[in-house]
Amino acid sequence: MFKQIFSPFGKINKQIFIVLAIVQSILALVFWHFASNGLVPKPLKVADAFFTLLTSKNLLDNVIISFILTIKAMAISIVITLFFSYLSVIPFFKTIAHFIVKCRYLTLTGLIFIFTLLTHDGSELKLSLLIFGIVPFFVTSFLAVIITTDNQQFEICKTLGYNNWETLYEVIVVGKADQVLEIIRQNFAITWLMITLVEGLSMSEGGVGVGTMLIKYNKYNDITNVLALQLVIFVIGLIFDLILGNLKFWLFPHSKLQIHK
Amino acid sequence: MNNYSKQDILIKAEGVSLSYGDKLILRDINFEIRDILRPGVVQGQVVSLIGRSGIGKTQLFKILAGLNSPSGGKVTLHDGKPVKAGDMGVVFQNYYLFEWRTIYQSLELAAKKNPKFKRQDIKKEINKYAEQFQLTEHLSKYPQQLSGGQKQRVSIIQQLLNGSSFILFDEPFSGLDVVVLEKIANLILQVSLSDELKTLIIVSHDIETAVSLSDTVFVLGTESNKAGATIKTEIDLCSRGLAWKEDIKYMPAFKETIAEIKAVL
Repeated sequence: MFKQIFSPFGKINKQIFIVLAIVQSILALVFWHFASNGLVPKPLKVADAFFTLLTSKNLLDNVIISFILTIKAMAISIVITLFFSYLSVIPFFKTIAHFIVKCRYLTLTGLIFIFTLLTHDGSELKLSLLIFGIVPFFVTSFLAVIITTDNQQFEICKTLGYNNWETLYEVIVVGKADQVLEIIRQNFAITWLMITLVEGLSMSEGGVGVGTMLIKYNKYNDITNVLALQLVIFVIGLIFDLILGNLKFWLFPHSKLQIHK
Repeated sequence: MNNYSKQDILIKAEGVSLSYGDKLILRDINFEIRDILRPGVVQGQVVSLIGRSGIGKTQLFKILAGLNSPSGGKVTLHDGKPVKAGDMGVVFQNYYLFEWRTIYQSLELAAKKNPKFKRQDIKKEINKYAEQFQLTEHLSKYPQQLSGGQKQRVSIIQQLLNGSSFILFDEPFSGLDVVVLEKIANLILQVSLSDELKTLIIVSHDIETAVSLSDTVFVLGTESNKAGATIKTEIDLCSRGLAWKEDIKYMPAFKETIAEIKAVL
């Protein structure tokens, strides 16, 4: 087994994987503990701040605000993404979908002024910035799924007498539904990353959320709380990832079979 | 000698050619498939299209299925109209099925397109075929949970439920062991006996198995100094007394025919 752990393509069971992860985490914490030179707080101090943060109402309020904003932004983004991605098989919409993909290269910081002019208040500004930031990544991921669709999936529909619209519905809408959930899961990390950025960019327009908390702690050099809050953000991300992963397997059992295969 | 007669044209290919850029793949393909009548027997047609690997069989297969258009010529059906996707059922080489649908749902998708079935009859028809092809216990499974042979049976039922009189098989014997090969061969025979107009076209490079099931063989090959593959020979197995016979593989005339085909390839 020891040899397998260090061999390329070595196979280990789930229990060994968990043990390996725990041992590596402990080693990382021990290294962190002894490498801390006073400027970076030791892990126990961060853990202490983490539990203090967890019991504070301030954290809960800010996490809820950020989380609701994230969910709202993701929901709207996925609707926009599906609309343009599904229609990307129609030549007229293909150019628009590809333009959205290229919008990945636009920075949010450069657009904040325009969005401030276009929106009415702070929450609207954050939501629109977040949607503008997420949609290109969502569309990129989903177009990649559509482009790599096995041609035989379309051919079998055609040989069964399905017209182009029926084929689009069966192969892209129904057939890729599990992929939509997977894209949401994978891009939640990007959304979660952006929310701290967006809340930071528009602090003067609202001043709430985990992003704002992070910037405030940074401003006062409170590294212990910065790391504790990072830990909170990390744990929330992991929980959401787990929930979405299991939801996918529950809603689309075939996706689990595909992984086993 | 068998008592039979060849009646109306069911499928006709006239001057079919296919090019990709300057490269000619298929050249002047001409053939007819006629309805074969045998007094007192309900018997469809089984036609084999034999050719070496890479000769253009799959391209011709897709043209016959209406999935690709030829660069020249046309394929028409008995009503004289050019073939289009959906006119012919297709059983793909890898028995492709929708991974996101259960077997029942896949069959339902096919049956819904059959104008002969009323909505309320679909379940009954699916169960009937599933029982006939020993798939009842697998109806709620996904394709990933089935073996290759089971998937092939599902693909065939899908086309039968879809109701097309024509079914194209792309390399149905490829990569099968001897036992499964025999089962698939029997299954194809079973399908051909289900209806008088049922016409099966087997595209294969497995000469012996394909010929043993067929009544007509078309050999696709190239001619010296000419680009592109064309039909080099048509062999009427009925006239040779080699059609519709069990244990045909042991007959000397069958072996001679196989040798003749191999010489043409």
